Amino acid sequence: MTRITLGGAVLRGTVSTALMASLMSASALGAPPVDLSKWSPEYVRSIAGTQDFDTAADCAKVTPLDYKGRLTFWYQGVFEGDPDLLRQYYKDFFETFRKTYPNIQLEEQALTYNDLLDKFRTALLGNAAPMAVRLQILGGTEFASKGYLQPLKPEDVGYSTEDFWPGAMKAVTWEGVTYGIPTNNETMAFIWNADIFKRAGLDPDKAPATWDDVVKYSKQIHDKLGIAGYGLVARKNAGNTPYRFMPQLWAYGGGVFDEATANPTYKKIELDSPQSKAALQASYDMYVRDKSVPVSALTNQQADNQPLFLAGQLGMMISHPSDYNVMLDLQKKATGTDKDKAQTVIDNMRYGLIPTGPDGKRAVVFGGSNIHILKPEYVEGGKVDEPAAKAIICMWTSPEWSLKMAYAGSNPGNLNGFKTKWMKERLDNIKFLDVTTSMLPYGIPFPALPQSPEIMNIIVPDMLQNALTGAMTVDQAADDAAKKVKDLMGGGL
Amino acid sequence: MTIVTGKTEARARLQPGWSGVLRKIWEHRADYAYVLPAIIVMLIVIAYPIYYTIELSFFNTPPGLQLRDKNFIGVDNYTAILTSEVFWMVTWNTLIWTLASTFFSFVLGFATALALHRDFTGRGVLRAILIIPWVISAVAASYIWKWIYHSDFGIIGAVLVGLGLADRPPNFIDSVSTVLPSLIVVNIWREFPFAMIMMMAGLQTVPDQLLRAAKVDGANAWQRFWHVTFPHLRNVSTVTILLLAVANFNSFIIPWIMTGGGPSNASHIWITHIYELAFGRQRWGVASAYSVLLFLILMTLGYFYVRALSGNERKDGSA
Repeated sequence: MTRITLGGAVLRGTVSTALMASLMSASALGAPPVDLSKWSPEYVRSIAGTQDFDTAADCAKVTPLDYKGRLTFWYQGVFEGDPDLLRQYYKDFFETFRKTYPNIQLEEQALTYNDLLDKFRTALLGNAAPMAVRLQILGGTEFASKGYLQPLKPEDVGYSTEDFWPGAMKAVTWEGVTYGIPTNNETMAFIWNADIFKRAGLDPDKAPATWDDVVKYSKQIHDKLGIAGYGLVARKNAGNTPYRFMPQLWAYGGGVFDEATANPTYKKIELDSPQSKAALQASYDMYVRDKSVPVSALTNQQADNQPLFLAGQLGMMISHPSDYNVMLDLQKKATGTDKDKAQTVIDNMRYGLIPTGPDGKRAVVFGGSNIHILKPEYVEGGKVDEPAAKAIICMWTSPEWSLKMAYAGSNPGNLNGFKTKWMKERLDNIKFLDVTTSMLPYGIPFPALPQSPEIMNIIVPDMLQNALTGAMTVDQAADDAAKKVKDLMGGGL
Repeated sequence: MTIVTGKTEARARLQPGWSGVLRKIWEHRADYAYVLPAIIVMLIVIAYPIYYTIELSFFNTPPGLQLRDKNFIGVDNYTAILTSEVFWMVTWNTLIWTLASTFFSFVLGFATALALHRDFTGRGVLRAILIIPWVISAVAASYIWKWIYHSDFGIIGAVLVGLGLADRPPNFIDSVSTVLPSLIVVNIWREFPFAMIMMMAGLQTVPDQLLRAAKVDGANAWQRFWHVTFPHLRNVSTVTILLLAVANFNSFIIPWIMTGGGPSNASHIWITHIYELAFGRQRWGVASAYSVLLFLILMTLGYFYVRALSGNERKDGSA
């Protein structure tokens, strides 16, 4: 647990007073713990390590540390594309929880991103869900709208709504009621291999400025070196696909609806707009016309692009800051000349902002995960141990653990996490973190609709596959996808 | 003492209606008591899901609603399925998948069984090696084949490029035209050992003296096979083909893991499409209607399977 320094205690006292005031009159006095209008790498550095938090003491106010109970908990855990560092933090979290709450019998189950929704939906149908669940940001609204989740807001576990990103809170809100708390929020960045750029005659220290440049650079890399330029991903039922295509779609001025605007209404379907078609055309140009991206893009996930990148067979890709650590882990496992080759790639790894569209618009998916409590009638045994559920939620969404559990690949859901000493340490340890934190203000949440998982995991990848395989023209694929969204929103079969 | 005459026996046999059935059940009450626990379990785990699937197939289940909030829509799900382009595409894929997998698995299995029926050194080892594809996990096999086929750095592609036989790795599973044949090859590789084992067992029932007699009568190898061996294998062949067909119709693991039904639905077969409809898109009603149709098809195949088995039993009994 965290040891509190004198300065930290003073700061904590100040923050507690402010927090209490905000709880008393949230609308009048509530203010984010960090100034989002000043957001920049310099600002993030300036606030890192300025405040200490005592997680156990904070959570004891929500659920006493000697509380005796039982909790079933499912969460989207680490998978093959995550670094070992993150695996260790997950292990540490559950060990710490068991030490902090020794009388809570915790039965946790980790599931991968692509399996969690299917399994959770099936469990709900049989009233066999866990008491609490940590879902990807895309899933919360679906289950809230169906009435499976209990209302749950940050104030219920000792925090304030203002402690979390406003965009993240939108993703846990359905018809004005909050049904969950963000654990982490992430925005990805653009990664390239400077050595490949140099050999292809490109500026090794400059990321492509626009998506049109990505198409151009990808072709140049492929034509000159015979390797894949950009790491396109278009697999269906895989979270990686929308995370990589939607930034492109939004940058060109397109969208599924108007989700890229400040106040989305999700009324008008934009997938068949000229801007959306231009974004799809860019992918088509890379895959079909130039053949400058991996042929396996239709069956690949990002985890397949990582070894390609490490082998020096891929010039550019979109991913987390954690990919740097993943490359280090993979390099450790390499042998002989492969090890040196991998080291060269790591030395030449560069991160930059995701390119803009033709009008200078930059966008990235505002991703992450949220934690929820289920209603008792859908839980195995028909009972929910609320204090136990709130204990784990308080701990996971605390400044300390929301940072540690997102150490390498994401960012803390609780904005106070940016002020902790671990953030300071992280800024020194995790290379390129600045770039992804700089992308956060460009983050656009997925539409907060129950239909979003189907749109993002099936309809959008289908549109890509239809265009890239030649099953349809770009126009037909976009029109077909727009029709599918329209049918879906209209409750069609 | 009751004297049973031929007339009363015939009357009892012909006794119509429920009273006769009930009397028979009563007479065999101990037998029914023995099988009752199994029947109860079967009713719970088989009959109820079938009933519920049929019921659900008449309801609309929008993704924004819970299953209990479903709306009755009559046969609209069936109409929607039969008028959708995807249905016909998926059905065509399923037919190709089932027929090609069944045919080639059987032919290859049969040929291998014939080859292994002869006595030669290392036959046991070879037999054990050939069974490996059938005994290893389908999930593991699917992942291995995915890497073998990989369109950028798969083993086949690397060998072909290395030998100068191709400029770039062939596109096996990322193309709408090659994905289904590529998956069928994997399925055949996995299933032919089953056909091989079945046919090897069948070959052992062919009477050796008949083959020798045919040889003495001047029949050549082909004539001995066609006129002696093959007729003896007809029943085991029918059963093997039906079992393969049912298994292939129900196949899920290989296409789902290797391609997820893609690209562009080119490798979606009924089962993967039903799974995606139900668990990916939460169209429980439409998925149930698909399942009912699939159930009817499989029941038809099942009927022929049982008939084939009964035919075997009758033949065995009369022999």
